[in-house]
Amino acid sequence: MAIIGQKLVQQLKTTGVKATLAQRLDDGFTRFTSGLNWNDVRGVLRGDPPAKPNPRVKPHTEGFWFHIRPTFYHEAVTTLYPTFRLGFLSAWLFILETITGIYLMIFYTPSPGAAYVNMIDIMTNVPYGKFMRDLHRVGAEAMVIVVTLHMWRTYITASYKKPRQFTWFTGVLLLIITMFLSFSGYLLPWDQLAFWAVTIGTSMADAAPVVGPTVNVLLRGAPEIGAGGLLRFYLMHVLLFPLIGAIFIGVHYYKVVRWGISLPPDMDAVGEDTARKVDMSKRVNFMPDILTNEIMYVGVGFAILAVLSAFSNPIFPGAPLENHSNPLVTPLHTVAPWYFYWLQGMIKIPHIIPGISLLDGLFANGLGITPKTFWGIMIPPIIIVLLFVVPYIDPNPSRRYKDRKVALVLGVAFEALILFLSLAGRPQGVPTWLSGFGDVRGDAATEVAQEFIPDEGESKIKEIPYSQLVEGEYTVSDNPQVADAPKLNEVIKEINEVMLQLKGHADPARKLATDATTTLSIVKLQQNLKSATITVKYTDATTGTPKQLIKTAWVHESSGFSHE
Amino acid sequence: MNLFYKIITYKPGITLRILSGLVSFLVMLSVCAITGILDVTQLGARDQNFKARSVEAGAKLYSLQCSRCHGLDGKGQDGIAPALNTEFFLGRNEAKIGDNNVIELVTAKPSERMKEIGWSGTVLNYIKGVTAAGVPLKSNGNWAEPHPTFAQAYGGNLREDEINNVSDFVNNWALEPYTGEDAIKAFVPGEGGAPKPTAVPLTAEQEKGKGLIASKGCNACHAIKGVANGLVGPGLNKIYTEAATIITQADYKGSQGKATTPEEYIHESIVAPNAYVYPKCPQGACVPNIMPQTFKDTLTADELSALVAYLSTLK
Repeated sequence: MAIIGQKLVQQLKTTGVKATLAQRLDDGFTRFTSGLNWNDVRGVLRGDPPAKPNPRVKPHTEGFWFHIRPTFYHEAVTTLYPTFRLGFLSAWLFILETITGIYLMIFYTPSPGAAYVNMIDIMTNVPYGKFMRDLHRVGAEAMVIVVTLHMWRTYITASYKKPRQFTWFTGVLLLIITMFLSFSGYLLPWDQLAFWAVTIGTSMADAAPVVGPTVNVLLRGAPEIGAGGLLRFYLMHVLLFPLIGAIFIGVHYYKVVRWGISLPPDMDAVGEDTARKVDMSKRVNFMPDILTNEIMYVGVGFAILAVLSAFSNPIFPGAPLENHSNPLVTPLHTVAPWYFYWLQGMIKIPHIIPGISLLDGLFANGLGITPKTFWGIMIPPIIIVLLFVVPYIDPNPSRRYKDRKVALVLGVAFEALILFLSLAGRPQGVPTWLSGFGDVRGDAATEVAQEFIPDEGESKIKEIPYSQLVEGEYTVSDNPQVADAPKLNEVIKEINEVMLQLKGHADPARKLATDATTTLSIVKLQQNLKSATITVKYTDATTGTPKQLIKTAWVHESSGFSHE
Repeated sequence: MNLFYKIITYKPGITLRILSGLVSFLVMLSVCAITGILDVTQLGARDQNFKARSVEAGAKLYSLQCSRCHGLDGKGQDGIAPALNTEFFLGRNEAKIGDNNVIELVTAKPSERMKEIGWSGTVLNYIKGVTAAGVPLKSNGNWAEPHPTFAQAYGGNLREDEINNVSDFVNNWALEPYTGEDAIKAFVPGEGGAPKPTAVPLTAEQEKGKGLIASKGCNACHAIKGVANGLVGPGLNKIYTEAATIITQADYKGSQGKATTPEEYIHESIVAPNAYVYPKCPQGACVPNIMPQTFKDTLTADELSALVAYLSTLK
């Protein structure tokens, strides 16, 4: 009868403790890597050529993680072009979001009473809380950008063509999942930004014909977003979308193993695909070449995102946290997340292009659909369906650039249109030199106050250092002389400039009355609290009656907006 | 075009890959380490920022919801609402630089009003409570209206966080409370119809002891009809009679020998509260160590005998 550990004793007797320990450890290591021992791994990381027979194929056949990666690439796809590693980076960002998301989940309760307090706790009481939150946010934005670019690259190099039609299909699905993941996370901080961005998003669904109201109530859990809506968005954010995402990332990756990464368009004959029939001399093994490349990408990516999150910088100013959500107060100029600006721009189309409005009229008369519904709700799903079916409707078998002039022009035009609509979707619309479409800002006096005391977010008044908020009442002029308050003088001058600009505005509806005067009064309320009030007095152009607009900001010595 | 081709077909060599990967990981690790070290101070600093922002939000709510009756400056309005911005109501807080340069608020002077009404919690809790749940009485007709309920939970229009904001704002006056005489004072509880205390006039010493009930904080926990409303420790309305019974009981053991008179027992109960723990408290059985053990040090001999003299009148 064999005694347990008999072999070990035998080995210890014959080779000694040190050698036995080394052998056993290496054995365990080999099992962990599905076939590579310690020296093999060192060889991979040093870029050594493989031993014969090549042990580096084993993890691809034996192990789970590497079986969805090809064992070799064509050397033509190992350079920056044609992939730019965008697909890999998307998958890595998905993992980064999962890790940081789990960390944040620990400190979060999806309930209207607790969520906002949790956010403050995460930033003030949880070690690495703010860092993880910023990393999660910057990672989410990066993921939307990288996934979009990935789709772009695939379109430009025509990699969606046969046999990769279904890979493209799952890719479009993953793009939508990415956007929904990002958007569903928007509500969770339960601040004004969250509440109103999601209210806008779900109202878009509400406007859809027939199913709209039902979808809206399903999403919100009630006619208005409340406890039910928060819980639903939370579950979608942490469970539904990650799950669908993980499944389709698996499908998408498997298709890459199955068909290989498509070669640069000019390398294949028209209608042929040789990505999996690679001549031995052109093969680049996954290990060490691709693996070390990817480790480098992950390292550089982590370093960039970590630096962006940890230190204040203009590229990523940090995940915002506005005031507690308030269903009764809609902040002026509420917007959807930037990657949905184009949808807001779509809604504005009837306002900005009269010719298209006429076309809407035809629809409206026949089907009872308003122009806004048509452009904002019915066209976007059609665009998405078109994206899905691009590989199935593209009749051109060639992937070569010179054969795809129409497709490339259409693609670039589409992208230009989306960019234009995104600009138009902002409250200020597209820049005036580009026609100024989509400017929905209100009357001039409100805008003066809004510019300096916005309902939400950073404000120019609050950025004045507390010590420079000298008590008094100041009439706005181009040469304010408040002693020892350079920043206050600067802001007063700025208000004056904005007023002058609006007094000369071309649009009479947005023009500020020429007799308008503005005062800024600063009052001390408590030992460490002051109020700053902007009062705009003017004569209403149409009625001739005097009017005034008052807006107040409260500034506490240590609220930290002034970065003193 | 040649340069463009060079850029897009760029592929870093293995050395560069490993080197840049390694450097990046080191950068990431040091960023994590720096964040961890900075967090030690920055968590507190951000905490302070958010507390300050709560006061800012409260200021806005106060100006919208409270200032109509209590006045923008918090000095109250005669016949409508009492002052909030007074040392009498709020006490006085001092800002002190604590650990990691975070400002901490320290009570420099406790609120007299809280003592007067026998409130055992903090001033901030009192403000929150009244703001949220209101005061359901007209205060003997002294004010025009009872204090409304503001919390949504009680039919008002403010969320819980808004109640906290506005309370933080009002309590923030305690750093520099108004001390002028023109502030509208709240009325003494029971004024205008409550039963008056017993008719037997107190001696000067007993009167002094009665004053100490409030000034030493006994009233925070103990109840004496017309004097104190505490609901933590046992009521003292009949303490002399009770004491006389307890000292005869078999289970009674004193701290240094048994007390032989009710006066001795009362004295002992103040200086050594754990010697004998009275069984019945307003919220169930009394628990040792709830009553501060420090009165033997904080009270002078005169004060102690005055207290005993006063408590001995409660029969």
